[in-house]
Amino acid sequence: MDRELSRRHLLKLAAAGAGAAALSPRLVQRAWAQELPPLPKKDTYTVGFCQTGSNNPWRLAETKSMQDEAAKRGYKLIATDANEDTAKQIADVASVIAQRPDILIFPPRESGPLAPSVLQAKQAGIPVILIDRDVEHDVAMPGRDYITFIGSDFVDQGRRAAEWLIGATGGNARIIELEGTTGADPAIDRKQGFDELILGGSFKGTPVATPVAGMQILASQTGNFTRNEGRQVMETLLQAHPDVTAVYAHNDEMAIGAIAALEAAGRKPGQDVILVSIDGENDAIQAIVDGKLGATVESSPFFGPIAFDTMLKYANGEDLPDWVVVVDRFFDKSNAAEFVGKQY
Amino acid sequence: MANSSRASVRTRSLSSVTGRLTVPERFGDAGQTYGALAALILIVLYNAFFTRNFLTEQALRVNLTQVATIVIVATGMTLVIATGGIDLSVGSLMAISGALAAIIFMSQRGPLDNALIGNTLAFVVPVLVAGAFGLFNGTLITAFRLQPIIATLVLFLAGRGIAQVMTNGELRTFRNPGFQYIGMGRPFGIPFQVILMLVIVAIVAWVMRSTTFGRYVLATGDNEAAARLAGVPIDRIKLAVYGINGLLAGIAGLIVIAINSSSDANQVGQLMELDAIAAVAVGGTPLTGGRATIVGTLIGALIIQLLRYTLLSHGVPDAAARVVIAGAIVLAVLLQRQRGT
Repeated sequence: MDRELSRRHLLKLAAAGAGAAALSPRLVQRAWAQELPPLPKKDTYTVGFCQTGSNNPWRLAETKSMQDEAAKRGYKLIATDANEDTAKQIADVASVIAQRPDILIFPPRESGPLAPSVLQAKQAGIPVILIDRDVEHDVAMPGRDYITFIGSDFVDQGRRAAEWLIGATGGNARIIELEGTTGADPAIDRKQGFDELILGGSFKGTPVATPVAGMQILASQTGNFTRNEGRQVMETLLQAHPDVTAVYAHNDEMAIGAIAALEAAGRKPGQDVILVSIDGENDAIQAIVDGKLGATVESSPFFGPIAFDTMLKYANGEDLPDWVVVVDRFFDKSNAAEFVGKQY
Repeated sequence: MANSSRASVRTRSLSSVTGRLTVPERFGDAGQTYGALAALILIVLYNAFFTRNFLTEQALRVNLTQVATIVIVATGMTLVIATGGIDLSVGSLMAISGALAAIIFMSQRGPLDNALIGNTLAFVVPVLVAGAFGLFNGTLITAFRLQPIIATLVLFLAGRGIAQVMTNGELRTFRNPGFQYIGMGRPFGIPFQVILMLVIVAIVAWVMRSTTFGRYVLATGDNEAAARLAGVPIDRIKLAVYGINGLLAGIAGLIVIAINSSSDANQVGQLMELDAIAAVAVGGTPLTGGRATIVGTLIGALIIQLLRYTLLSHGVPDAAARVVIAGAIVLAVLLQRQRGT
């Protein structure tokens, strides 16, 4: 089957590149190396899905979304779980490739080590779509080595949180920012998006936002994306900055921890301190309904529909961007009630 | 090995054990405790002058509630380290205890539907289960002669997995004022877990100072072979300290889920083993065993807590704060080494 696939490639290339390709074998090789493996139009597909792990609600929701959507469309899903172990995910991808699915869809646990796995799939003639995390582009390029990357725009999530907070506080707030795990992409991007709207920022030398005069960030510290650390850091920062009027947390868990800290200190979250966060998990939706959390920007784990739609577009020969941006919803008191218990 | 040389080793070790049994090392312990105490006083003084709202009831409450779980776990860890061992599994045992408690009081089946019965079981069962896992550690170490760091690595890895399987990897959130009293109750205005912490520290400090068990623990860590020959029931002592350490980790797990109104098998007790070991080391208990200071461990935990609080209050970024805390631990251990030689 391997040989058959590569022969088909060569035939296609010979047709496309005609005489030029025939002149130099090296050119053929390079051209072949730049071609994405094709995906035939079929009624049903076998899809390889290599999850990074199942140790948090977000990952579980992502896996479930893939399984549900595959079942709905009658696709066969070959699923593996790497238990948050990069080496295991590399082995998982290799073993799924050996089972020859039509396509491989997966979130690479780390951007460096999983890039060769993408090339490995390509060499085996299996097209790849990456979801929610990308690989390093100097090793594997979208459009050349894999079809595309589907994921949220974390910077934009930060911007939307800032926009809402500016509106909700009338442009007057003293803010404590609870950052995600130091060095993690979502933490860096969510901080960048928020801070550039509040403090003013620039992109390649040109200003993209002007600072809002009444908005001030009192302190910005990591809470490691967890409820426990979010609470402890908030307890401490609340002592150092009792004049705080708003909190921006990089995820819902830390926001819920901050709410507990505020309540323990006799403050009224939602009234004297306004909170905004990112993720859109069930507990956060409930906190909005309870009036304690102001709003949360969704960071959707529901990749099933968009991943399979993108796959079909590729099979139909449509042009795809290098990055398919996931459309994230926004939850505040106007719509939270209808989403109670429906998230993850 | 020649019989004569073995005999000479035996006599030397025996004399060192009997020496320890008859003359309590009050002076050595006192010196180390006061060294750490001086550091603690310095940090408190610095904060009193340079940190906003430090001398307030609220700041005291925040610091004591945050340090309570570390102190409780580190107290058990002090016993383990005193026997010359180490326990890496405490964080995972906290996760198991937390996961189990939430399952018990959230299940509405049979007698568990009654809040009183459900909550009582949710306190007792997880702590006993964590204690049993502690005994499992002890069994690996005594019956199978595994090195403590390897023996407890088993549950460090598997324990969190067990907790994740129990909860299906999902975060469970709840509102249960009866159960959450352990983390949120404030009798006489003092947080309940702080009272619990002080009671545990007082009891264990008394046990180490005034009971035969305490002497045996130190003798085991000082020179195991000699202690065995002197009639110390080494294996039972080791089983007991790992069991006690498990029980205390179980209690700490309950406190963490109670404060957060959520049981998250992935996060509860994460990195707790390192916090506890650091507190023990800074407090002046040598990791080679044979000596222990429970009050020192309390002070060590407070030093690390206040360092974190100070750095956070003054806006020092996390990355730099870690380096400062690591430096403080190295400094503390270095000073103790010099005192020992």
